[in-house]
Amino acid sequence: MKNYLLILGIVVISSSCRKVEFEEVERTYGDADFSTYIAVGNSLTQGYQDGGVYEEGQKNSYPAIIAGQMELVFPDMNTWRQPTIYGNGSGYMHLEYINGEIEVISAGDVGGYTEDGSWSSWGTSEQGIKFNNLGISGITLMQCVALDDNEKTINNGILGGVSINIPFVIDTTIPGNPFARFMDFGGSPLLGQTPIQYIDHIKQSNATFFTSWLGDNDVLGYATSGGVTTAINLPFGLGDFEFNALSDPTKFRMKYDSVLTAFNSLGAQGVCATIPDVTVIPYFNTFTVESIMEDMSYTEVWITEGVGTGSIVRVATSADLILLTAADDIEAGMGGTEANPLTDGYVLDDVEVANVQSRTIQLNNEIKASAAMFNYPIVDMHGFLETLKPGVSFEE
Amino acid sequence: MKKLLSIIILAGSVSGFAGGFQLNVQSTRSLGMGGAYAGFGRGTESIFFNPGAMCNLKGHNFTLGGTLILPLVSLQTDAYDNINQTSPMGTPIHFYYGGQITDNLFLGLGINNQFGSSSSFEEDWQGRFIVQNISLKTFSYQPTIAYKIHDYISVGAGFVITTGKFAYEKAVPLTGTSTDEGKAALSGSGVTFGFNAGLFSTLIDNDKMKLTLGADYRSGQTINLENGVANFSDIPVSLQGTFPAETKFTGKLNLPSVITAGFAYEFKINEKNSITAVYDFNYTGWSSYDTLAFDFENADTPDSKTTKAWVNTPTHRFGIEYALNEMFYFRAGGYFDVTPIQDGFVSPELPDATQFVPTIGFGMQIGENFAFDLSWLHQDVTRTASLDDAGFTANYHRIADVISFSTTIKF
Repeated sequence: MKNYLLILGIVVISSSCRKVEFEEVERTYGDADFSTYIAVGNSLTQGYQDGGVYEEGQKNSYPAIIAGQMELVFPDMNTWRQPTIYGNGSGYMHLEYINGEIEVISAGDVGGYTEDGSWSSWGTSEQGIKFNNLGISGITLMQCVALDDNEKTINNGILGGVSINIPFVIDTTIPGNPFARFMDFGGSPLLGQTPIQYIDHIKQSNATFFTSWLGDNDVLGYATSGGVTTAINLPFGLGDFEFNALSDPTKFRMKYDSVLTAFNSLGAQGVCATIPDVTVIPYFNTFTVESIMEDMSYTEVWITEGVGTGSIVRVATSADLILLTAADDIEAGMGGTEANPLTDGYVLDDVEVANVQSRTIQLNNEIKASAAMFNYPIVDMHGFLETLKPGVSFEE
Repeated sequence: MKKLLSIIILAGSVSGFAGGFQLNVQSTRSLGMGGAYAGFGRGTESIFFNPGAMCNLKGHNFTLGGTLILPLVSLQTDAYDNINQTSPMGTPIHFYYGGQITDNLFLGLGINNQFGSSSSFEEDWQGRFIVQNISLKTFSYQPTIAYKIHDYISVGAGFVITTGKFAYEKAVPLTGTSTDEGKAALSGSGVTFGFNAGLFSTLIDNDKMKLTLGADYRSGQTINLENGVANFSDIPVSLQGTFPAETKFTGKLNLPSVITAGFAYEFKINEKNSITAVYDFNYTGWSSYDTLAFDFENADTPDSKTTKAWVNTPTHRFGIEYALNEMFYFRAGGYFDVTPIQDGFVSPELPDATQFVPTIGFGMQIGENFAFDLSWLHQDVTRTASLDDAGFTANYHRIADVISFSTTIKF
C-alpha cells in the first residue's frame, strides 16, 4: 500500500497543477540607454567609508548598486568597471567592544585594519582603463574643471602630483590625492607637460547615462576644518590660494555647466544630486555642548572663535558645533575653563555653521539651475539627508 | 553529517496548509469529506472531533494515520518575479485508541499534531528581515472518556496536554564593517493544557435512514515559552551589548479554541449500500492570536512585539460518502475556509487566504477487523496582501497537496 501512496505522490508532484510560479513581469528601461553608465562624484561615489576605501566599501558603492539594477533591465550593458581595490585597501577604522566600552580602532592602531600591500601602487597600472565609477574621495568641483591656466596647474598638482615641491599643492613623492591614482592626469605645465583634467575624462567616457554628485567637498573642507581656512601665495606666479575655502558660487556654476555640457555633448542622459547639509552629519553632532557639560561635569564649555590676534574666547552655546576630532582634547580637559578653551579648528561656531548652510543652498541653486538648462532631473539629497537627521526607526 | 542532520530535522517539520496554522488533517476518513466529522462520529477519530461520538465504537479500536503535506509557495514582489519558499514537506501523524469498557462507558486516547507551520526561504531573500525560517510543531495527548446517557444521546470529554516547539530565524538589518548582516535565532518550547468536550445525538436510526448530530468545543491553549534561547550573530561590535550572542527570552503562543456543530444524514439504498451527507461548521477563535511578543532577559535588547490582529473565523465543511457493498467507500467533499489574517497583516511565512478546497477519499473495509483509508486534498490559492509593519507587499500563490493514509484495527 505504501507503493500506491508513493505513486500517487509522484503523480501529484509531477502534475501541471503544481505550477506555483508567477509569470515574469516585463521590466523596461523606458527611454534610457544604460549601455555606459558613468558616475562622477567624490568619496560617497567612490565607496569611501570608515575613513578609507576598501574592497567591501567599493563593492557597495551606490554607483555599483545602481549599475546592478540597471543591468536587470538592460542586459546588454557594457561591462561596468571600478578600479579594483583589494582587501583593506587604504586601511580603515573600525569599532571594537572592549571591557564594556566601544573603542575606535584606527587603521594604524594595534589590531587595526591596516592598508593592503597592494595599496601603495593602487590604480597606477590601471590608468589606461576606462572606468565607469569616476568617484574620487576628496575631490571638489573646483578641481574638476579649470577656468584658467593657473587653475589647471594647481588642479593637476592636487589630483595627479608632480615632482616639484610646492607646499600643499604638489608633493615630491606621492600624487596629491592617493584616491585619484586610477586616472591619468598627464603632466604639469610647470614642467612644460600637458595636463589632463578630470573633465577630459568625462569627455572621453562614452557615457550614455550618468549620475553627478559633485560639490560636497566644496563646503565639507571648510566645515571639517572648523571653518579654519589657510590663504597662501603660491610660487611660480600661480597666484593666491585659500585652503578649505567655501567654493565661490559663480565659479561653481561655470564649472558645473562645463561638466553637464560634457555629458550633454555625448548625448548622455542622467541625473544630478544636490549637496547635503553637512552640518547634520554625526561628525558635527556626536559631541554637543550639552553632552560635554554632562560628561565632564562643566557648567559651561569654552571655545575659541577665530585664530591669531583677532580671536576671541567665549562660552559655547548649543548653536556651536563641536567636531568629532575634538575627542582627545575634550578628554584632556580642554574647554573646561576660559584659560583652556577648545581651539577654533575643533569648533564650527554658529556663524560658520550659517556660512556652510547658506553656501550649500547657494551651490544647490546653481546645481538646479545648471541641470535645468539641460533638462537633467535633480535628486534632492539635501532634502533626503534632512529626513535622516533625527534617525530612522525600524519595526523590530 | 551536518547535512544529514538538517534533512532529518526538516523532514520532521510540519507545514500548515489551511486555516492559519491549524492542521486539519486529524482523520484520513474525514479529510475525504471536506474535514467534517463532528456530526458523523463513526470511528476512533471522534476522540478528536467529538468525544461524545466515541460511544458509537464497539470493541477496541486503533487507528494510526500519517499525512504528507507538500507545499509550494511563490511570492511576487515589485523587485522579484518569483521568490519560492523552500519550505519542507510536512508529516503530521495521528493515533487514536477508543474502546468500549461497559455498555455505557468508553475510554480513549488520542495523539496528534494539531498545530504546525514551517516556512523557509533562501538566505538572501528580500524579506529576510521579516523571516528566514520559522517552524512550530505541537503534539497533543488526549485521554478521553465518554458516556452513553441513552441510545439517543451521549457525552464525552478529554483532557488535552499539548507540547509545542517553536523556532524562528531572521536577518537583523545591521551590518558592521563586513557585508554580513546580523542574524537572530530564537527557539523555545513549552507545555500547555486544555480540554475537548462533545455531545452527540442519534436522532433517527432505521432501515431507511440515519440522522446524527454533534457539537464539540476544544478549548484554547497558551504555550508559555519559559526558557527560550535567543542567539544573535554577525552583529556589529558597537551593538553587541544590545544584541548579545546569547540571551534568554519568554513568550506566549496562543492556540485557538474551536467550536464545531455538525450533522450526518445517511440514506440507506439497500442493506449493503448507502450514501451519507455530512456537514460541519467550525468557528475558530483566532482572535487569541492578537500579538506575538518576546521579552528578552538582556535588558538592553528591545522586546519584540508583532501585532497579528487575527480574527475569529468560520469554516464550512461538507462531503458525501458512498458505501458500496459495505466494503468500498468513495468520498468527496470540500471546505470553505475564511482566513483569520486581515489585509495589512499577511506575513510571507503564512500567506493564508479565504478559499474553497476540494477533497476526495477512498476507504476499504476488509472483514470486521481491518480498514484503511486514503485521502487527497488539493489547495490552490492566490492572494495579494501586505504586511504593513514591515512595508512588505506581495502576490502570493500557494499550492499544497495533502495526502493522508490511515489504518484501523479492531479487536
